[in-house]
Amino acid sequence: MAEVVLQLVGASCRHYISAPLLTKPWRKILGPGIAKIDLNLHRGTILGLVGPNGAGKTTLLRMLSGILPLQKGSVFFSSKQDGKTIENELTTSIELRQIIGHMPEQVRWQGKKSVLDAMSEIAAMRGSSEHRILGLIKLVGLNSRIDSPLDELSQGMRQRLTLATALLGSPDILLLDEPFNGLDPVAAQAFAQLLQKLSEKGVSIVISSHQVSGLIGIIDRIALLHRGQLLIEGEINSVEKELELSDRFDLTGTSQPPSSELIEKLGMEVINSNTDQDIWQMQLKGDAEGVLKNLISEGINVESWQPHAPDLVEMLCSSTGLRVEDVGLEITSSAFLPLVQREVEEE
Amino acid sequence: MSGKGSFNKITFLIVKEKMFSTRMLLMFPILLLFIPGLAWGFSDPNIILPGGHRPETPMEVLFYSSLGIVFGGTMCAVLMSFDGVSKERASGVLEVKLAQPMARLYQTLALVRGTAIAVIVPVTILVMISIVIIRYRMGVWPELMDVVVHIIATGLILTWYTLFTLIASSKAREQGTAIAFGVGIWFFFTFLWALVTSMVAFASGISIGQESDQSWIALEGALDLFSPNGVYHHILESRLPNIQRGVSGWQVGIMAIAWTILPLWILARRMEDLVP
Repeated sequence: MAEVVLQLVGASCRHYISAPLLTKPWRKILGPGIAKIDLNLHRGTILGLVGPNGAGKTTLLRMLSGILPLQKGSVFFSSKQDGKTIENELTTSIELRQIIGHMPEQVRWQGKKSVLDAMSEIAAMRGSSEHRILGLIKLVGLNSRIDSPLDELSQGMRQRLTLATALLGSPDILLLDEPFNGLDPVAAQAFAQLLQKLSEKGVSIVISSHQVSGLIGIIDRIALLHRGQLLIEGEINSVEKELELSDRFDLTGTSQPPSSELIEKLGMEVINSNTDQDIWQMQLKGDAEGVLKNLISEGINVESWQPHAPDLVEMLCSSTGLRVEDVGLEITSSAFLPLVQREVEEE
Repeated sequence: MSGKGSFNKITFLIVKEKMFSTRMLLMFPILLLFIPGLAWGFSDPNIILPGGHRPETPMEVLFYSSLGIVFGGTMCAVLMSFDGVSKERASGVLEVKLAQPMARLYQTLALVRGTAIAVIVPVTILVMISIVIIRYRMGVWPELMDVVVHIIATGLILTWYTLFTLIASSKAREQGTAIAFGVGIWFFFTFLWALVTSMVAFASGISIGQESDQSWIALEGALDLFSPNGVYHHILESRLPNIQRGVSGWQVGIMAIAWTILPLWILARRMEDLVP
């Protein structure tokens, strides 16, 4: 496993929300946020931070980028000097911001300011050179738009500009909040390739998303966040195994579907099945070796067979033990519920 | 790039953006009318002001023309800065900026400096044009010290209004509230302060608006210290002969510092705690 570059230990940051009383109209209480998270970021790996709306993904990224202060907990950064690994505790947010590049979600760059001026302003805050600015503008494919006013950029171009600002200062860690929003498929693929290149160079990348499927093939590790708590973190395969979501296959075919006895005989388990007119589909769980061959030899007309990638809802249901309907309601209400179970004083 | 170099670069880019904005383009004719226009009018050799007064020295003309700065210049400062924070906060650009290693205090100072300079530069150019107009109409140049005091005082009042409006902008989550707050402050100190002065005078048993009544003059002078426009006029009056409103130079100096430091401190604190 790649070495740990950043370690978050017992980190908490909860938002204050207004809770006025007649006698105390200015009263504020602790609301949702992040509670006591331990998270390791590994050098040269891409971590997918997934969770439903209101899970705390953006708050966690803002904590990591030094925008929101840590109310509790510590951050440790490991760097290499003369071949030795040195671990330092980062005590100020400025120290954190020096090693991190942050790409917030859907930045709407606007105004008459040119792309170059917008980049120059951000670069001045990071002490980056003119040469670096021009190189990054070229890297994200905005070279032909360098003098264009920000108002004339499309959403995809704005995303690229935000990425360029995140790459200023050659950060050790890159935080990307829903980076694929607004990108066309071609740009998304180029973007994913760029992320791979950066991770090969040793940059640790965190991508937040509420869609697991969009991240498969890009990320090496996954972290599941729910109600400000980290439910599980690890390599995708091990997380799938731990949540009992591995070894699942989607199977479709026509005419007669395989009987449950046949499936059982092949050592598989039916998770769900569905028949619509002449077409049937099944989700099976178990060791797939030889199953497809046996099904065909039994005269089953199989049209497709592919491994099943778990989605966020399945992961949430599996890790929380809740049903889909409960998770759905939980998502809507979680931001407003007091977080008693976190053992944090509420006021 | 050094820290100071970065700070200057950010200031320069803010000045460039704001000074050549459509908003400034719209404000410039109004400023032209208010600053050199008033200087032209007040330097007319035949002018007689209400009360029979006639401006006799170039500094007196500059003093009366400062009315244009109080109305037009400060309004320009409000319009240039009402979305200084709120717009970037709403668009997400502020989050990009706050994620950079430059301390928030320096980012704030660069924003204040950039926005204030974007207003001060055109206003100062128009004040210079006014001085040339006064020379043309009256045949006399104002004293160098008069010009220096006028420009410094003008720079200060424009900076104060920039600061008030940026504080409002940092509080407001959307543009409407930010502009309402900024214009509200401008309206209060520009139009309603006279009402506040009258009410305090009435409550204190002083005859309102009696120019020969020393207690009215002293009260008005003292209350003016609590208004940025009042302090501005106190500074300008320091260059006029025979003005005695019962306020010492050091009091004016302290209040000028307070009107600068206090809003700057509030804004810096606000920006330090700001959640994008």
